[in-house]
Amino acid sequence: MSWLLPSALAIAGIGAIAAIALHFIARSRPLAEPLPTARFIPERPVHARMRSIKLSDVPLLLLRLAALLALGAAVAGPVFAGATGTVTRVIVADRSRAVANIDEVRDSVRAVLRAGDVLIVFDSAASVATLDSLRAVSLVGSVSAALASAIRGAAAIAPRTDSLELVIVSPLVSEELDDATAHIRAAWPGRARLVRTAAAVPAAAGVRRVETTATAEDPVVAGLALAGLLGPRSDVRLVRGRVPAGDSAWARDSGHVLIHWPSTDESSLWPKRPLIDAIGGVASSGGAMVARFPRLWVIDGQAIARWADGEPAAVERPLGNGCIRDVALVFDPASDATLRPPFREFIRPLLAPCGGGGARDATPLDSAAVAPLAGSGALAAGASLRDRSAERSRWTPWLLFAAAGLLILELAARRTEKATA
Amino acid sequence: MTDLGALLDSVRGVHWPSRRAVAGGPAGTHQSKMRGTSAEFTEFRLYRQGDDPRRIDWRLLARSDRAYIRLATDRAVLPTTLLVDASSSMGFPLATHAKWQLARHLAIGLAAVAHADGDPIGVAVHDDTGSMRILPPRTRRGVVSEIARVIDGAEPDGTEPLAPTLAALRSPRIAVITDLLGDAEELLRAASVHIVGGGEVHLVHVVAREELNPPKRALLAADPEAPSLQRLLVDATRRGYLEAFGEWRAQMARRWRAAGASYVEVASDEEPARAVRRIVQPPALAMSGARA
Repeated sequence: MSWLLPSALAIAGIGAIAAIALHFIARSRPLAEPLPTARFIPERPVHARMRSIKLSDVPLLLLRLAALLALGAAVAGPVFAGATGTVTRVIVADRSRAVANIDEVRDSVRAVLRAGDVLIVFDSAASVATLDSLRAVSLVGSVSAALASAIRGAAAIAPRTDSLELVIVSPLVSEELDDATAHIRAAWPGRARLVRTAAAVPAAAGVRRVETTATAEDPVVAGLALAGLLGPRSDVRLVRGRVPAGDSAWARDSGHVLIHWPSTDESSLWPKRPLIDAIGGVASSGGAMVARFPRLWVIDGQAIARWADGEPAAVERPLGNGCIRDVALVFDPASDATLRPPFREFIRPLLAPCGGGGARDATPLDSAAVAPLAGSGALAAGASLRDRSAERSRWTPWLLFAAAGLLILELAARRTEKATA
Repeated sequence: MTDLGALLDSVRGVHWPSRRAVAGGPAGTHQSKMRGTSAEFTEFRLYRQGDDPRRIDWRLLARSDRAYIRLATDRAVLPTTLLVDASSSMGFPLATHAKWQLARHLAIGLAAVAHADGDPIGVAVHDDTGSMRILPPRTRRGVVSEIARVIDGAEPDGTEPLAPTLAALRSPRIAVITDLLGDAEELLRAASVHIVGGGEVHLVHVVAREELNPPKRALLAADPEAPSLQRLLVDATRRGYLEAFGEWRAQMARRWRAAGASYVEVASDEEPARAVRRIVQPPALAMSGARA
């Protein structure tokens, strides 16, 4: 048995102690003692507040205690667990770019998955999925997101199980952990089983090439060509006009990067700025370009490049397994800014894989680093992971009914006592 | 009687003079209204018809040629009855019966003093069956012991009134030993009648120390003579009790004295011999003692 709101029991207990204390000092009738001159004492009610080492009105006190405890139990909401001895697993499976072989992950999951278990797949985000839908994506993985999703999933199945086991199937590389991971892991009240798979070896920090259908006269294409970044069948596609549906599907399904970089004002449907102005520079994590750029649009997303005043100049939006990067940078066709070295430094983060334009840290964590993730002790109790706010106790109405009955009895007892006094 | 030895020793030599001249009677220690032939010369008076010629002072007749009667102060005894209250309230406190013990000692002390003066002494007290037992005033030896036995045979219980007994007593001097918590009004009325009839009444008001200074803890005080009367004595009512009780005692003293009786209040912790001396001392001394 567990309680939905155990603090109500504590409050009822305090109330019961207070009631007992009050019955020690409550209005009670002192013992009669002979005093021949009693007639000279001014008349007043013969009940007076006095301390006593004996409880007064014990039946009344018992009724009050019973009513208080019934009321407290009703508010606390007793819940009797239906399942005993059952263990259910919450399996979080990594499908991020850190995974070398998604089949290995799938096999590992299949080995531990049982009927009634919850499977959560994660990359930069996490969601409940089925084993069949487990496919690799090129996004960075986030164990924090996976753990948070696992706790939510566990809350859903906690009422049906006695214990919960957290199984993490992942290569567990450095880039998948962040500052929040330890705190979220601490919210899981039990140990976890770690099933580590092989980590992907990142490609050599070579040049990521860009495929495009734009003409060579385009200043950006010219700059990329000059930098040797153009090539066929690449992971990165540059679109200088409006984005065709086929290109969106290409990015969404295959986890590629689609760069949407309108060449003119008419090449985009982005909302226009209320006041179109010009600014003297733009910077990414790769480098900065100093030139005069018109600012035409307002773009929304995770910033990967910013204007000199801090406004986003290029943003990334996740799209399925891939992403779209909107770049609101318009070059004068007569400008040679794209042909200069700063352009090549500036554009490098824009060509990086989805999920972050920074450097990739795919180093598998050592055993000391993953030990906090595994934790120690027993499995998590189902009761400790329940979402109490959504639960109801079927005993509450009956306990309230009993408390009301006891209070009525107490009232009757009090009146009877007053009548006989 | 063994516990009364010290008391009897203490009151030896104490006299209980009457408050006024007594009627004629057997020779005693109290000044009588009658002028007799004793050796205690008072005055001469002209012979009037009807006087006994044997009382004419012949020597004075020879010198003055007038017939004078020689008058002398006569002295008589004063029969005294002690009326002792043995109601339930006199048994307070229950543990010590201090009021009753004090009343017992006072009665025996007064009896001893009166007996030493040669006065007939008797007692009236309700015995343990509730009926009034009256021992008429006597002067014979051993009457004090007899009075002590009568009092020892009584137990403070019941609510029998004292006024009918007081009204029925014929002794010229009556000492009432009571706490006045019974039929106080009727008792005062009967005492007034007795005083108007030439009698003498001494009221000894017995008060327990616990009544003068009740315990400071909260208690539900119950009147032993009226169990249904229960009052709560707590801090809030204590001051009112003390004021009301004090005012009542002062009023009783005033009214009894106004009726011509002697009124003495005795607390239960006062030494009985000292209380006996206060009771029997003449009014003038009592006044000076009170002033002192």
